Amino acid sequence: MGAHFGYLFAAYSIIFIVIFLYVMFIWRRQAALDAELRTLEARMAALAERSAAGGPTEPQSEA
Amino acid sequence: MSGFAAVLRKDLRLELRSGESTLALLALSMLVLVVLVFALGAARVRSVDAAAGALWVAMVFAGMLGANRALLAERDNGAIRGLLLSPLDPSTLYAAKLCAALIFMAVAEVGAVILMVLFFNLDFDASMARLAPILALGAVGFSALATLLSAITGRTRGGDMLLPILAVPIFVPALIAGVKASAAALAGAPFESMGDWLKIMIAFDVLFVSAGYLLFEHVVGGD
Amino acid sequence: MNNPTIRNWLGFSTLALMLASLFMVFDYVPPDAEMGIAQLIFYFHVPLAWVAFASFGLVAIAGIFYLWLGDQLWDDLGYAAAETGMVFCTLMIVAGSIWAKPIWGTWWTWDSRLTMTFILWLMYGGYLMLRASADDTPQVARFGAVIGIVAALDVPIVIVSVRMWRTIHPAVLVTKQGTHGLEDPRMIWTLMVCLAAFTALWAWLLMLRFTQLRTRSRMGRLSSRIAFATAAASDPK
Repeated sequence: MGAHFGYLFAAYSIIFIVIFLYVMFIWRRQAALDAELRTLEARMAALAERSAAGGPTEPQSEA
Repeated sequence: MSGFAAVLRKDLRLELRSGESTLALLALSMLVLVVLVFALGAARVRSVDAAAGALWVAMVFAGMLGANRALLAERDNGAIRGLLLSPLDPSTLYAAKLCAALIFMAVAEVGAVILMVLFFNLDFDASMARLAPILALGAVGFSALATLLSAITGRTRGGDMLLPILAVPIFVPALIAGVKASAAALAGAPFESMGDWLKIMIAFDVLFVSAGYLLFEHVVGGD
Repeated sequence: MNNPTIRNWLGFSTLALMLASLFMVFDYVPPDAEMGIAQLIFYFHVPLAWVAFASFGLVAIAGIFYLWLGDQLWDDLGYAAAETGMVFCTLMIVAGSIWAKPIWGTWWTWDSRLTMTFILWLMYGGYLMLRASADDTPQVARFGAVIGIVAALDVPIVIVSVRMWRTIHPAVLVTKQGTHGLEDPRMIWTLMVCLAAFTALWAWLLMLRFTQLRTRSRMGRLSSRIAFATAAASDPK
């Protein structure tokens, strides 16, 4: 009975630990995604700044 | 149909000129059988179960190598692009590649069976005739699967490692049925006794030949 | 259709249902008379199996829709389902193995169900290895869809062959699967709550990962458009 409780405890803890680790993995991916999003925003801001300073870019890219 | 014949003829001619793939398949089959004879030990070498198992191990490994080589040859010279640019239907291309793979595998299997009989102290008797359709069904299923999957793994990084990882689990039902039916055939069991195993192999072959025929277009086309 | 609201709601119901199922397993339900306390693993093992198989089914359905409609959304769904399915399938095998040790006296036996599950695990492990070894291109998305479909097509033949393999071979152990003996209504209630808890957990994790993959593929497209616009703007005429 006591030994069997060990099995029971092990099974339930492994389940919850692995699910927790998976949530952590999703969390870390989210952090990486946020960082990527910030670089994208920076690049977009740089692009907007350049088009504001250097005149209209649309005609240039059209030409 | 002429496109099918052209691709098949091209593959066969390439192979006839160099003989590389068939030789490599035969060599690998032989090595697998030798390794298994040593691994199983002399005591088990007379058992038909061990012989059937060894034969199928040799077949799976040789088939994998053959499928990888066939695709690498196409990829290294950029020939696959030419084939895809030709006005050839992807399904026809699949059928031709499947037939070529099947022919190479059949040659390797004949060699492997002869070696198995010699190494495992069996006899060339009527059981060989019963073994032939089982091996043929196995080869059809394996070639169908490997041709489809090698088109996938051939175009990803680390592809030659991925092919066995993807193909072997999917091939398991045909493998189980094939080993069981082969062992029964080698033990001299009548054909009717392995009917259920043969049915599984036929179902596997029909399913994967049609799946490959229909899905190949999605694998090779579109980019 | 506010995604974050649904997600939070799902998260909270998962938490509540999980707590309820833990209470029911450890306090409410009577342990099986024959198998003793280890039998309580069953109440999480079965829901894990259900969500794992549901995930793998979803991979195939998403694959069919991806090949049919070509919308990246279906690929993201299939990938998310394969990943969550793999997590749950692994847990199911581990929990089942820990249950088998005291009950059958072995961690693993080549019983037909165990074999079938293990083959499924190998197949979707291969799928995930393919996805991990390749970039996220439409080509790889099609590869994933094809493998998802092929694996699902294989499942019925695997089940039949594995069952025949075990019945023709003499069984090493007399397995007790199939006779769980849920004679007490409390056992059925506990199982139901656990099933609900794991379904909610599955939906929540799937949704988290799916929205994440959606965001990632959108950002990938946006990134290439920005690169294009930057190149066009810095082009010295």
